[in-house]
Amino acid sequence: MVALVITLALFFDFTNGFHDTANAMATPIATGAIKPKTAVALAAVLNLVGAFLSTEVAKTVSGGIIKEGSDGIQITPDIIFAGLMGAILWNMITWLKGLPSSSSHALFGGLIGAAIAGIGIHSINFESLLQKVILPAIFAPVIAAAVAYLCTRLAYALTARHDPETGSKLTQKRGGFRTGQIFTSSLVALAHGTNDAQKTMGIITLVLIAAGSQQAGSGPQFWVIAACALAIAVGTYAGGWRIIRTMGSGLTDVKPAQGFAAESSTASAILASSHLGFALSTTQVASGSVIGSGLGRRGTSVRWGTAGKIALGWLFTLPAAGIVGALTALLVKTGVVGVVIAAVAGTGAVLYMFLHSRKSHVGHHNAVEVEEAGQAVRFRKKKAIAVSRTNNKKKGGQ
Amino acid sequence: MKWLELVQVAGATLVAAVTVVVLYSLGVRLTAIAGDVQERRPGWVRPLAYVCFALCGVAVLFGLYLIIPYFSK
Repeated sequence: MVALVITLALFFDFTNGFHDTANAMATPIATGAIKPKTAVALAAVLNLVGAFLSTEVAKTVSGGIIKEGSDGIQITPDIIFAGLMGAILWNMITWLKGLPSSSSHALFGGLIGAAIAGIGIHSINFESLLQKVILPAIFAPVIAAAVAYLCTRLAYALTARHDPETGSKLTQKRGGFRTGQIFTSSLVALAHGTNDAQKTMGIITLVLIAAGSQQAGSGPQFWVIAACALAIAVGTYAGGWRIIRTMGSGLTDVKPAQGFAAESSTASAILASSHLGFALSTTQVASGSVIGSGLGRRGTSVRWGTAGKIALGWLFTLPAAGIVGALTALLVKTGVVGVVIAAVAGTGAVLYMFLHSRKSHVGHHNAVEVEEAGQAVRFRKKKAIAVSRTNNKKKGGQ
Repeated sequence: MKWLELVQVAGATLVAAVTVVVLYSLGVRLTAIAGDVQERRPGWVRPLAYVCFALCGVAVLFGLYLIIPYFSK
């Protein structure tokens, strides 16, 4: 059972990686700042580095949402197994739909559902749930969007150039932001590594402690850290192209200055929150930033239809993962046969979704669609430069 | 309720993001001015642009320094 749970936890880490590549790399790919394949490779390496940097978060995984400890309920590998099942299946479904949804919420949802079905409703600390999951879910996108909006405004205001005599627009020369995007998106990837790989480390450590092969209260062992770092890096490299498409071009058309502002906000928000102990979801922060930067540039429209679909997905994350987790917990309760059935059914569902995704394959080659969108923007920009050149008889260019 | 922490996170996010974006934007702006061919421009514009980029980099590194527990211990 322990080995099974560890395998499952590492697979969850993998889905977490490819689900969240989009958070860091969707905007630079969309603006053409980095080539798609290079982008995911860069993100993978930085996730790997990030996972090694800090193991502070790993200590508290469920964060007191499930009353664990000596006076509370003993959390068993069975419950964790069921919770992971719920989280993985929900991650796969949202990936298939191209929805960026929070992997941590899926994990919490799965664990909560499993605990309710396996132990009872009294095992859940609802106050803690409200404080650590639901309120941050409301505020994360709002904070990120507000900061990204302000930053986009600032970036455009500071680089807007007008001819002092005629007042007509000069060539803006904002190409520098494209280079900047490489750094800011790297920061986001690093932040993701320090944040999300931790959760799996925490889970595996929890299982090892529950199984009695590790002392309670000790941190994650080195092989656990290494395995988790590797799993999330490989997952990131696999790249969730469907979600990259949604984030990069589905919400709003991103230009380099916007992308730069959005990524700076995302990175600041994630790093600040994980450092100050008010955990915000990477995905929700990143989506909020993209929307905020879309609002910040004049002449851009935000596709609220897509934004609404994403928000709806967030609403369903906790209950949906919870239901799968609960069903799995009930199956596992029946004994070894139940575990086997659950494992087989889970693997089957994942395989089915994978095969189904092959029918309409979205890979780095037709995330090219995204890249083309970026090139179209660039092309238009060059034309605009040409126009302003003839208008102003001024020299200059990219 | 942890409202104070929420405000802290929002504030830190705002300060960090605005610092980076303002410095980088200034750098981009100054580079653009330095690149103007026909204008007679003061010689300090391009170096100043590089100073802006450098300060931006320092700000990011300082943020990382604060966050990575290995350094702040």
